[in-house]
Amino acid sequence: MRSVRARNESAWLLPNDGTRTNHRLRQDMRRFADEDEIDLVIVGCGAGGSVLLQRLARAGWRVAALDAGPFWDPDADWVSDEAGSHHLYWTDPRVIAGTDPVPLGSNNSGRGVGGSMVHYAGYTPRFHPSDFATCSLDGVGADWPLAYPDLQPYYAEIEQELPVAGEHWPWGDPHGYPHRPHPVGGNGEIFLRGARKLGITAKVGPVAIANGRFGNRPHCIYRGFCLQGCKVNAKASPLITHLPDALAHGAEVRADAMVTRVAVDERTGRVTGVHYLCGGAERFQRAAMVAVAGYSIETPRLLLNSSSGRFPDGLCNDFDQVGRYLMVQGAPQTAGRFGAEVRMYKAPPPEVSSEEFYETDPGKDYKRGFAIQTVSPLPITWAEHIAAQGHWGRALREYMSDYVHWSCLGALCEFLPLPGNRVMLDSEKDRYGLPVARFSYSQCDNDRALVRAAQSVMEDILHAAGADEVITIQRYAHLVGGARMAADERHGVVDGRCRSFAVPNLYITDGSVLPTQGSANPALTIMAVAARAADRLIAGSRGGTD
Amino acid sequence: MLAQARHWDELTAGLVMARLQPPQMLKFFTEPEAACAAALLDQITGQDGEPKIPVLHMIDARLAAGETDGWRYAEMPEDGLAWRQSLSHLDADAFLRCGSVFADAPQAEQMAVLQAVHDLKSGDWHGLTAAHVWSLWTRYACTAFYSHPDAWAEIGFPGPAYPRGYKNAGVGKLEPFEVHDTQPSDDPVRGGA
Repeated sequence: MRSVRARNESAWLLPNDGTRTNHRLRQDMRRFADEDEIDLVIVGCGAGGSVLLQRLARAGWRVAALDAGPFWDPDADWVSDEAGSHHLYWTDPRVIAGTDPVPLGSNNSGRGVGGSMVHYAGYTPRFHPSDFATCSLDGVGADWPLAYPDLQPYYAEIEQELPVAGEHWPWGDPHGYPHRPHPVGGNGEIFLRGARKLGITAKVGPVAIANGRFGNRPHCIYRGFCLQGCKVNAKASPLITHLPDALAHGAEVRADAMVTRVAVDERTGRVTGVHYLCGGAERFQRAAMVAVAGYSIETPRLLLNSSSGRFPDGLCNDFDQVGRYLMVQGAPQTAGRFGAEVRMYKAPPPEVSSEEFYETDPGKDYKRGFAIQTVSPLPITWAEHIAAQGHWGRALREYMSDYVHWSCLGALCEFLPLPGNRVMLDSEKDRYGLPVARFSYSQCDNDRALVRAAQSVMEDILHAAGADEVITIQRYAHLVGGARMAADERHGVVDGRCRSFAVPNLYITDGSVLPTQGSANPALTIMAVAARAADRLIAGSRGGTD
Repeated sequence: MLAQARHWDELTAGLVMARLQPPQMLKFFTEPEAACAAALLDQITGQDGEPKIPVLHMIDARLAAGETDGWRYAEMPEDGLAWRQSLSHLDADAFLRCGSVFADAPQAEQMAVLQAVHDLKSGDWHGLTAAHVWSLWTRYACTAFYSHPDAWAEIGFPGPAYPRGYKNAGVGKLEPFEVHDTQPSDDPVRGGA
């Protein structure tokens, strides 16, 4: 593998004078005209869209990525404050339904260039080899049309580009990380202590925060505000890991451009570009190919809103697959109170994790498993945790006043892909007049069994570490699926290289293509899948023909 | 805490300091709604004396700006309307219980009305799911209350941390500007000291 800098110079294209944005690079950015038929237009500039953009720009393609939100400047746009970071989340109206409705917004939905990775914690584990064949191996979930070895080289590449710091990883396909593990704070210390007492293996990492300088990105200052956007440029997001290199190689990022519809030529059945709104004007970008990368809610919504004579029920929806099999991970959060002061806010929330319970255990009455990680909620999020116990008024205040004594762990439980967990169009319209997404979620018995098991392991760990009391809040994390890849068009929307079955020049390159989710945070896998799709595109001919 | 503000970046400092300014005029709530919401929010955030963190005004500003969390439960109206409706339901409950609107009800009656809504959990409350209404109230209230430096001081959170960051993370470790919990044995879990 060539050196990281030779493949992706992003970290060296950032300023090294204490500011965080290369404004010159953005000013000098290539700008395509709407009537220019560019090689590829990408919808959404998050984990998947940005990697695709950077790879294709490097290969000489004429590419532009449109994003509904702003082109962030960490210096001018982000603050070291919880409530003040509200603008980082997608807060256009959405409706949640089902027996277990899943809150969106700050929980899992980013806005603007960089996508949800701007406010993710920074955990970047790989999926395990078993994640790609859960149906064959365990009789649940789905098999991917590709296998772990197909993604392995892309995992390794992206881990270097972010870069990822952590101990040698003993689970799944054992591997090392390019950067050494970060020192741990109070919360990580508690997790390691409790796990050691119980004989549970826990490791420091894997975290996409450079340990040491990386290019012109400075060292982490351990301020604990990872989820509010990294003002330091230490935590990886596409804004600093892929877009600078993309711009330097002639790509365009068109911010504040909300794509409303993908256009289809009724005669050929091929897509011809995207309709979008920018500065109050309706515009149309012509393109030989389109890649949708709006994540698991907006990607299905855009396809469903792009119905036409050829696709009366929504683009690529001939077999009623669009929007289905959307997944979230069950993410119970268990906190323990200690006599000593933990001060969990004084370190990045992502510190230590364990994948010891990730795989199916034949001795249990459920399939698949869960991972356990440190989470370190800041005051507002912590107050939600306390309020969820039923405390309000004086009791809430008294519990909260003990903030520095609490340690907090979170689980990621592999909820199964179910056809009824889906995005549809609601009767409510947004400010553009477009139907909003209605996201329905209901758990199955296996999901509930996993949550119970994970909660009990977290309680055991915290008790073993010396907690005098533990409390748990039920919540959800991440989104994947909604336009999944499959072996054929009756079971999914795209094939293993992310090309849609229905339209040869339409791709989907984001988390919505994942058929299963494992117990891993999805960012790294979304990037690896997009990098692989980019390789296949570059190897083929432009225009979506083989 | 505010003595540390000189170590905060300007953008963040400006934002946090603005929360200490006298609150703006109410824009969203009507007078009767504001009275009911003020009593509700005092109860939820346990504020029974002056000075108060102006939670009512912070929520009013959010609702006036339409700054939602980016989702709503299917059976609930959009957040602004859900606030108006739930406040009028609170008045109705209080009237039934003690013959006055919620804001004029004695503290104990207010608390009983709220506890009854809380205890309904996923049951029906005036056509809404009680737990979803409770979630709406507490989300808005906690977000406002715990964004205020006075609340941070109460719980021992130092607030913004850029560009300084932290150097002494770990159990029992302090930065030079941090102080230990003054009531370490005051453990609410064990019923307090």
